[in-house]
Amino acid sequence: MSTSLEMKKIQKWYGALHVVRDFDLYVKPGEFLTFLGPSGSGKTTALKMIAGFESPSGGDMLLGSRSIVDVPPYERGIGMVFQNYALFPHMTVAENVAFPLTVRKIGRAETEEKVLRALQLVKMTEYRDRYPNQLSGGQQQRIALARAVVFNPSILLMDEPLGALDRNLREHMKIEIMRIQDELNMTVVFVTHDQDEALTMSDRVAVINEGRLIQVADSRSLYYSPQDRFVASFVGESNLLPCRVDRIENGAGKVTIGAATSGVARLSGQLGGEAGWLFVRPEHVDIGPLGVIPNTENVLNGVVKDALFLGEMTRYAVRCDDETITVKQQNRGQAQLAGGTPVTVSWDAANCIVLN
Amino acid sequence: MKMLLARPWLRDVVIAGPLVLLLVGFLVIPLSFILWGSVEGTKLNFAHYARTLTNETNLKILLYTLRIGLIVTLVSLVAAYPVAYLLTKIRPRALSIVTIFILIPLFTAFLIRTYAWIIILGREGIINNTLLRLGIVSEPLPLLNTTFAVVIGMTHVFIPMAIFTMYSSMVRIDHDFARAAQILGAKPVQAFLRVYFPMSLPGVLSAGVLIFIIAIGFYITPALLGGPSDTMISQLIVMQMTTLLNFELSYASSIVLLLVTIGTLFLASLFIPLEMIWSPSIADLSNRPPSARTRALKGAKQVFDPVLVVFEMLVHAITKPLLTRKSRWLWVYTIAVLVFLTAPLIVIVVLSFSSSPFVVFPPPGFSLQWWEKLANATDWQASFLFSTKLGLTSALLATIIGTMGAFWLVRTTLPIKRALFLFSLSPLMVPVVIIATSLYVFEARIHVLGSFIGLVIGHVLLSVPYVIVVMSAALRGFDPSLERAAAVHGARPIQVLRLVTLPILKPALITAGLLAFLTSFDELLVSIFLLGRQTSTLPMKFWGDIKFQVNPLLSTASTFIVALVIVSILTVQWIRVRHEKRTSASANN
Ligand SMILES: Nc1ncnc2c1ncn2[C@@H]1O[C@H](COP(=O)(O)OP(=O)(O)OP(=O)(O)O)[C@@H](O)[C@H]1O
Ligand SMILES: [Mg+2]
Repeated sequence: MSTSLEMKKIQKWYGALHVVRDFDLYVKPGEFLTFLGPSGSGKTTALKMIAGFESPSGGDMLLGSRSIVDVPPYERGIGMVFQNYALFPHMTVAENVAFPLTVRKIGRAETEEKVLRALQLVKMTEYRDRYPNQLSGGQQQRIALARAVVFNPSILLMDEPLGALDRNLREHMKIEIMRIQDELNMTVVFVTHDQDEALTMSDRVAVINEGRLIQVADSRSLYYSPQDRFVASFVGESNLLPCRVDRIENGAGKVTIGAATSGVARLSGQLGGEAGWLFVRPEHVDIGPLGVIPNTENVLNGVVKDALFLGEMTRYAVRCDDETITVKQQNRGQAQLAGGTPVTVSWDAANCIVLN
Repeated sequence: MKMLLARPWLRDVVIAGPLVLLLVGFLVIPLSFILWGSVEGTKLNFAHYARTLTNETNLKILLYTLRIGLIVTLVSLVAAYPVAYLLTKIRPRALSIVTIFILIPLFTAFLIRTYAWIIILGREGIINNTLLRLGIVSEPLPLLNTTFAVVIGMTHVFIPMAIFTMYSSMVRIDHDFARAAQILGAKPVQAFLRVYFPMSLPGVLSAGVLIFIIAIGFYITPALLGGPSDTMISQLIVMQMTTLLNFELSYASSIVLLLVTIGTLFLASLFIPLEMIWSPSIADLSNRPPSARTRALKGAKQVFDPVLVVFEMLVHAITKPLLTRKSRWLWVYTIAVLVFLTAPLIVIVVLSFSSSPFVVFPPPGFSLQWWEKLANATDWQASFLFSTKLGLTSALLATIIGTMGAFWLVRTTLPIKRALFLFSLSPLMVPVVIIATSLYVFEARIHVLGSFIGLVIGHVLLSVPYVIVVMSAALRGFDPSLERAAAVHGARPIQVLRLVTLPILKPALITAGLLAFLTSFDELLVSIFLLGRQTSTLPMKFWGDIKFQVNPLLSTASTFIVALVIVSILTVQWIRVRHEKRTSASANN
């Protein structure tokens, strides 16, 4: 059974420090929502308030239709996976997984059955009698997950659960967590500062900076239509060039990029005459030798500063006047442009936005 | 429960209350009584201080006390340093074996060890007998009842303490620093003197302070091993109070002793964080700003540099063959120290099986007669039972009060956290004789003197700091997310405590309980003052008998006690090792 979670104007102050500001958020039943933000942005604090370890300084929080701000953690019925797993070292795997049922005084037979089912779900049945210190990091992670879901929690919280795993294991666990969430159709709030995790796993991502929700959107919108400069630079790689909107034509903006180059870009609410930042992803920028005039709206001339061969693609840094533009070009057998080569870079108006 | 949760301050009051009540009610208030009494209250009469400090006998005793304190401290540190150093280098297996050989003497009652030295140093003791038989001397050397005997007896008491205190801070110094120095061209001696030794100084200093403040308050050893001129200030205080019945004078002497102690601690606090003395694993030196210590060291270093260079060259020439041979000499030395520490205990054990009616060593034959006598000695049995009952009661109370206090001290967010922690250790700083006399006076006023509860209070006061040291170290290492994980998955606060927190802290709880029990079981001075007409505790029974006559029955009783202590130490070690093996955080993959 999955439940919705709603945060209404949630605030958290630590003394004079405003750590969580005006969180307004509705998580649908069965949705996988991720808090993504840099270190210290307040992700853990927000999660702690949902779990009940910290109480909000203001605002209201609803689990389903019930307000939970005054409910202690043990009555919220929430499952949680901790960054360091927090498995009880003095209990076996089976005892750990059974813990939420034990404290709820569920009968033995039912406990047995549910523990078995949870262990099957994470594929760890043969480890039931081991102690946590006899398990590898990935295995501990699975047990922590089994413990968090064994009692059909209304919602599952995860605070950087993959942070302590090595790269391969992390890729693997990402897929496992998605499978399990899908199988149980559980509402999940996931915390990470890793954008790849956020983009791959989530239905929606809530980007947080300095305690504020900046943008809540699905991965594609977040990547292709960031709302501001912070999101653009935090999620994926991007070029941000200073620009000015000269006038508005057919909904698109005629802009001046840098000192004098004119171009066309999508607008995000700017009016004519306003200054802003032109955002374009490196993979949307084409690069070619100087003189070949591409048939697009935005064209800049420059010099290759350096070229990095990355296997599937080549990454160029191109100097155009005062700006450096990053370009990623798929390698399809074309010659690499060496450093110092004069080049032309260009991109479509549809692929760039003016951000404030 | 709900109410407790809703008001954090109420929860704090409940868990901190008993500890604060104990410390204020039975340490601070009694001490202020003494201070008040020493100046005859509002009369503000300082004559007793004048007498303490100008009377020639009293002054001599004070100076003698300080001198013995210094000598014993220095001898113990020097003797213990190489052992502590070796302990940081050896494998866990060897470490646990050596540790047991140090733990056993450490936890053997002062009285038993002193008794052993009486047998060894006496006129017809082992040393004199051996020397006479070998014809080296023609008549017994006067060894017992001399300053020499006092120093030997006290050193024997303090070496194990010095080893453990220094070891626990030295073990955190990475030997790679010294190795790095050697790779950079320092000779082994230079690497040691210029890199390792300075880093180990805080540990040495904290051991030194610990020993010094206990030594100047020592009672048993000087009373039994020293001569008439070897009176120390604790004896003086006891005498002024019980024989001369001059209370005000004894108060003044107590305050003088207390001031010396406080002065020592104050000096030490300029160089090291004080909590390091009792709880080396807690103090964190790294984030302290450069202090007087650093400056003093710098100055000293510049002055002594030329001397140091010559010294290093000399030592290098001498020790080159020694240091390169896998620390074999250190081992030889360590074994010699271990023999010194355990030999007196062995003498006692052997004597308990003596067939002779007298204390002769080696015994002429084997017999169980003394064990039979002990089995039939109802007075010993009564004392044993009473001490056990007292020890269990005190240990239980101290563990509960101390553990609750430790929870509070570790988890409170009060800014004066550190001061509170130091305050909770104050029964370890105040010389026992002062605690004993002040409680005596105070308990007489509130009419609990001579009652079981009055005695228990004294013992709980003495053992509660050990519980706090052990439990707060354990709590600091406790991962708070475990409690959160339990709570979020449905455990009520009481369930969290019962199912998660306490089971994980079990080894620490048992250790704390054992320490508290042994503290009470070995305690003499406080019992002497607070006992009243109750059955003698075991140490008091011992005390009475030693002064009366030295016979093998005492050896037998001692052997029995030592055996019990060894069994309980080993049991606790075993429980700890088993628990740690299971719960150690690291995954072995
Ligand atoms: N108990 C506390 N008291 C005071 N300040 C706190 C407390 N807990 C967190 N903070 C502060 O609140 C801010 C947000 O912390 P939080 O742990 O939520 O960050 P985070 O987004 O989870 O960061 P990370 O990615 O590093 O885990 C930080 O500046 C932190 O210093
Ligand atoms: Mg965090």
